[in-house]
Amino acid sequence: MLNLFRSCFFAALALLLIQPAQAATTIELWHAMSGALNERVDELADKFNKSQSEYVLKPVLKGGYDDVVNSMIAAYRARQHPPIVQVNERGFLTMLSSGAILPATELMEKAGHKINWSDFIAPVATYFTKDGMMMAMPFNSSTPILFYNADHFKAAGFDKPASTWPELEAQLYAISKKGVSKCAMVFPADWEWSFLENYSAIEDVPYATKRNGFDGVGAEYVFNKGRLVGHMERVKRFLDDGILELAGQGINPGQLFIAGRCSTVVNSTAAHAAVEAGAKFNWNATFLPTEKDSPAKNSTIGGAALWTLKGHKDEVYKGVAAFYNFLGNVETQVWWHKATGYVPVTQAAYEAAKAQGYYKDKPTREIAVVQLARGTPSDNSKGFRLGNSAQANIAIKEEIQAGLLGQKPMQKAMDDAVGRGNEVLRQFEKVNAGKY
Amino acid sequence: MQASTDASAWDGGAGRLRPTGPPRALPASSAESEQRGLKRSTFENRALAYLLLAPQMIVLLFFFFIPSFRALIQAFQLSDPFGGSTQWVGLDNLAALWRSAPYWAAVRATIVFTLALSVATLGVALLLAFAAHHVLRGQTLYKTFILVPYAVAPAIAGIVWAFLFNPAVGPIAHLLHSAGIAWDPNRFPGHAMTLVVLASAWKQVSYNFLFLLAGLLAVPRSILEAAAVDGAGPIRRFVSISLSMLTPTLFFLVVINFVYGFFDTFAVIDATTRGGPAGATTTMVYKVYQDGFVSLDLGSSAAQSIVLMVLALALTFVQFRFLEARVRYAV
Amino acid sequence: MVERTPVLDAFAHLILIAGAALVCIPIYFVFVTGTLTQQQVLQVPMPWVPGDQFMANVATAWQKADFGRLFLNSLVVSAGIVVGKIALSLLAAFAVTYFRFPFRMTAFWLIFVSLMLPIEVRIVPTYEAAANAALPWNAIVDALDLQGLARTITGRELTLTLDWSLVNTYSGLILPLIASATATFLFRQFFLTVPDELSDAARVDGARPMQFFWLILLPLSRSNIVAMAIILFLWSWNQYLWPLLVTTEKSMSTAVIGLRHLMPSADAAPSWHVLMSATLLTLAPPVVVVVVAQRWFIKGLIDSGK
Repeated sequence: MLNLFRSCFFAALALLLIQPAQAATTIELWHAMSGALNERVDELADKFNKSQSEYVLKPVLKGGYDDVVNSMIAAYRARQHPPIVQVNERGFLTMLSSGAILPATELMEKAGHKINWSDFIAPVATYFTKDGMMMAMPFNSSTPILFYNADHFKAAGFDKPASTWPELEAQLYAISKKGVSKCAMVFPADWEWSFLENYSAIEDVPYATKRNGFDGVGAEYVFNKGRLVGHMERVKRFLDDGILELAGQGINPGQLFIAGRCSTVVNSTAAHAAVEAGAKFNWNATFLPTEKDSPAKNSTIGGAALWTLKGHKDEVYKGVAAFYNFLGNVETQVWWHKATGYVPVTQAAYEAAKAQGYYKDKPTREIAVVQLARGTPSDNSKGFRLGNSAQANIAIKEEIQAGLLGQKPMQKAMDDAVGRGNEVLRQFEKVNAGKY
Repeated sequence: MQASTDASAWDGGAGRLRPTGPPRALPASSAESEQRGLKRSTFENRALAYLLLAPQMIVLLFFFFIPSFRALIQAFQLSDPFGGSTQWVGLDNLAALWRSAPYWAAVRATIVFTLALSVATLGVALLLAFAAHHVLRGQTLYKTFILVPYAVAPAIAGIVWAFLFNPAVGPIAHLLHSAGIAWDPNRFPGHAMTLVVLASAWKQVSYNFLFLLAGLLAVPRSILEAAAVDGAGPIRRFVSISLSMLTPTLFFLVVINFVYGFFDTFAVIDATTRGGPAGATTTMVYKVYQDGFVSLDLGSSAAQSIVLMVLALALTFVQFRFLEARVRYAV
Repeated sequence: MVERTPVLDAFAHLILIAGAALVCIPIYFVFVTGTLTQQQVLQVPMPWVPGDQFMANVATAWQKADFGRLFLNSLVVSAGIVVGKIALSLLAAFAVTYFRFPFRMTAFWLIFVSLMLPIEVRIVPTYEAAANAALPWNAIVDALDLQGLARTITGRELTLTLDWSLVNTYSGLILPLIASATATFLFRQFFLTVPDELSDAARVDGARPMQFFWLILLPLSRSNIVAMAIILFLWSWNQYLWPLLVTTEKSMSTAVIGLRHLMPSADAAPSWHVLMSATLLTLAPPVVVVVVAQRWFIKGLIDSGK
């Protein structure tokens, strides 16, 4: 009897001492990449999971950017949130003032990974840096470029689009008058990004005071003073003269270009995949046009970054850091860039792609990177840090649309847009007093 | 929708229904209670009543009242969406709405939208229900077709309608252009409003049709036959008999359509016009979502929800008071 | 009615055909898009004639979104909502029209109010309620400091707060969507039209309320129940926002979410053809329900209309 007891005791002790194999830690990532991009994200997770066995990255598609944010907020309030969340670039201040995030730099340092943060290309780095730290991990970044139908331009007697707006205007009018196409240019859905923000950055004019909000509280929109007004008057001219088409809902503006109906479109470089897959004509791309006397600064980024949310165990954060490390690898970056059309976010990745001769095959893919790295960034081209810019944009676009449709004079429309935008900024400051 | 009654209710010739036999001597309190939605003859078992109500009330408590309270209380706060900082601002959010021109524009848009939607929906559904009730052949086929839009998710319905009427590529837009109409919902607020009314009505006609047809089918054949014998044609029978017996259903549908227009049309508007151009089709409910979901302005969104709720309740109450008085429940 | 009204007949048919056409043109376009290839879909304007890719696109859509599991979930959830909502509503409507008790009208208006605030507007607190259904209990525990009380009484540290999470469960998908009053309102309208003689007779015969309910009221309500069931099934099948929030596991997702995820985002190649054939797939069960339930519905009406 005693023997039996003794053997049971030692067996139990032995079992206790044998460490069971560690189950891999699951790390959820909530994102907004639907359709074909969803498959790319799954592939990325696959690659990471295969490269090591301690962590399993589990991407969860939560709808569009708005859906992801709302899901995240609901989950956070109920303490059921994931450690990683993809939020678009204009959500920077919202995330920062949430008090719910762990800065990426801190996370990586704690986990002992060495990241060369200065290798991130300038517009990406400046957008997400505060107090010397990268707050989020850049993920999918893009910038707008000009896609054009080379066949249409040739038929109208032009080699390629001119590099300045006045000259391009003349070309577009010629294309229209000669009957080459019914629609010389289609207006993109996110025109606040390309026609308002990026225009201001490239032309080196302030969009808002306090260095576009980087200097903190008290910024005011000022895009109603200066050449942006003239630019929107130009757009109105295009619209009234039938040069520019509004795609509206039910069809993607990019699709009107791909179908060969519209001769040009200002669209994100990430649209490359769609254009390559669908365009049945000679297409090409070039830099965004500038004004004649333009300093031609760099354009700014769009897209999203990965934010780390507080409230999980240390083990999980080690895994998050491991994933970020993997994401920042040259190899991963080059693969992601080629597979999706988003730009490589590190200089090293860009150089590697160049060395591989990728841009000899696909020269248009390089335009975005070059445009982002062009010249020395000025205070007006480092990006935007304006509170609740999603909300402000709804109001701004509504007002400027009224101007474009002739419901009020363009200057008044811009003034009203600025007025409503400033209301949003003041409210954001009231809610988040003292947080940033 | 109505239960069967006695054929002698048809008074032959005068074209009106009248109560069978001598008028019932109803005690005053019963007449009142019938107006307040209580049967004349009730059961006396109070405990049972509470028991029967309990399941619905409990579910409502946990998943409607408590969450709604927590959502609406934000109307009196200025809060950060993550719940980190909350300041009490009393009626500031509501006052801001009162001063906001875009908000009043949304109110106007809502009134126009809901009225147009209700008229279009009920009109078309009544017409279709009459026709479906009248024909003998092919009823099932027609019915299936007419009910299908209700099966389509609102977002998809919106996308398809937006595509069909898209001035650049839409087939129906193309037809309109060839007919000389310069159709462009991206530029003309009136066109955009027409588009959202059409798309929303399309989905709601099925619902109305279903209940109207049910109501028509429930009209007792005996009354209709008696009228036919007296020489009333199908249209006359419809107008004099069926319509008046349909009043409970019509009342139900008026309220439902109205609630639909006020509260359930976000997805369709979002998919067809996104509230544009320049805010022309931004109705109150669209603004609630826009401000709540996209702008994360929870205080303003909650304040707007309160206004919407109060308005809807007030209007419904009025409808109950005045319209229900005309509803003939008993024959 | 044995009369001949050829003109009216023709007119009626015309209206119905026009109605059916109006209703079906959008669906027809969904169908056509689902039969095209990626290139054809991007053509502007789109062809009116269907292509030949129907089965191929359906297969792609089925695989990409793992529709088998999603369909099952949608079916379970929709069935749950239909049964749950109709059951609760019948009982509540019966109570509110056939019984006299204090706060009767208050109860009715309270129920009615739930029509006035769609779930999307109260989604975050509803999520919190689903993430921990015991929240109200916990709030009471905290407010009255019941844990402190327990400590003083028993001298031990007790955890009285509960954690009952409905996230990623069928109950979480079903319960919050049952919380609104359309069906109650409808049944209340119908019950008010039931002749008083019936309940009088029942009472004279000594029947108890529940007997009256089961044996007389319910059979009379058959067609309304079926109509409501159709409507509710379609409504719950097409729910998007709530299921999106309350599930993170792909295995608990519903068909409509899978559909939405196929929708091309602005930055990617538009695969409308796959999306539209997925739409047709997602449309199929509701349409089947409508066709099948229709027969019952007519039967119910014919039986009860005598």
